Amino acid sequence: MAIVGHALSIVSLLISLAIFFYFRSLSCQRITLHKNLFCSYVLNSAFTIVNLITVVNNPKVVQRNPIGCKVLHFFHMYMLGCNYFWMLCEGIYLHTLIVVAVFAEEQHLHWYYLLGWGFPLVPASIHAVARKKYFDDNCWMSVETHLLYVVHGPIMAALLVNLFFLLNIVRVLVTKLRDTHRAESNMYMKAVRATLILVPLLGIQFVIFPWRPENRLAGEIYDYIMHILMHYQGLLVATIFCFFNGEVQGALKRQWMQYKAQWGQRRREHCSMRSTSYTATSITEVPAFMYHHDCNSEHLNGKQTEDSELVALKTGETYA
Amino acid sequence: THYNHYKHSIVALNLTLNNMYSCSSHYGNAIEEFCLAKFKLDMEVLDQRQWCSWEDTVESYGELTNCTFLVALKMNCFWPNRMVDEFFIRVHRHYFHDCSMSGRLLHDPPNRILGPFIVVPILVTLLMTALVVWRSKRSEGIV
Repeated sequence: MAIVGHALSIVSLLISLAIFFYFRSLSCQRITLHKNLFCSYVLNSAFTIVNLITVVNNPKVVQRNPIGCKVLHFFHMYMLGCNYFWMLCEGIYLHTLIVVAVFAEEQHLHWYYLLGWGFPLVPASIHAVARKKYFDDNCWMSVETHLLYVVHGPIMAALLVNLFFLLNIVRVLVTKLRDTHRAESNMYMKAVRATLILVPLLGIQFVIFPWRPENRLAGEIYDYIMHILMHYQGLLVATIFCFFNGEVQGALKRQWMQYKAQWGQRRREHCSMRSTSYTATSITEVPAFMYHHDCNSEHLNGKQTEDSELVALKTGETYA
Repeated sequence: THYNHYKHSIVALNLTLNNMYSCSSHYGNAIEEFCLAKFKLDMEVLDQRQWCSWEDTVESYGELTNCTFLVALKMNCFWPNRMVDEFFIRVHRHYFHDCSMSGRLLHDPPNRILGPFIVVPILVTLLMTALVVWRSKRSEGIV
């Protein structure tokens, strides 16, 4: 059953990645961070599925205890760390953008890459060393050991720090920027709202994990919720960050309109035998900058502010 | 007191078998009957999860070994011998088949070792986060 969740997650994440890579107009720094986040989720789900199929469901392998299954476990822990540290990178990026530098120029993303891909090696390695020395069971499968906190501790710390940053952003947006930069603060509120919903969802499994209710019905509900929170995370992330994103929906709608128009044109071409490329391109020549309200707000000063206000009014309450 | 009960049964065995001067297949039955029964009782007292714990089982295991030795003496068998080996293989297969390679029950290290292993990565995480926040501030040109 867990395999189903992870497989669905992988599929939805790959679709989201395809959308982000195909629509160049959406591309900006925040989307780059999303792409990295989605990649780490895809890899995490892939490693989980491989782990489940080859090791957990396979007692002969566990008894043989090859070194490969411990290496697999190490990479699984590394990928788990990558997931949560990329969420932290998203939070830090938004915090720097909104609170510290207030819509300034583009940031250098090198340190984010280091924190997201490089740093999770540290808890994973420490866990591997500690496990080998003190709790070297077959394939490191046991979850009865407190040594797992070597990996889960930093993850929880990252989630708490992330939550703190996001709440700080909300505080700044609501109090300080409301009067001076109303339009931008509305847009950023939408951006932050998505992240602010995801972080507790991802983190709550660590909080309620020790407290399984005794009651049979409540216990089953608990199991279902934990199952969804743990195994459908990729799907949740892809849905909230990509499918529910107003820009992405707008880009997809435009593309769909374009295809419909081209299809219609092609059918009429057989009749009229006139080149329709002129008409087709004029449809796609919609000014791209008008739709960059969420991402490129950092360039919003001066004359483009009216356009952004226009778009903010047009797109109304789209879920960012 | 259990051990004295043993010695009595060994003496009884001695009296009935004192005509036999060489080892026979009755040795296998003898150790099953006299030694394994007590070992079974001892292990049943323990929780099954403790069977892999050396500290909890070393005494009973020692008694079992001693018992097979005494029976071998009384029956004029060499010790150890093939029947004893097969006997112990069966015992291991039943009681100790899923113990880990190190031979001891796995348990967490003491808190003075576990503590630093958990706290240090958390501190390093917080430091690294602070570093990234500081560096991304600086890259704006705003210190």
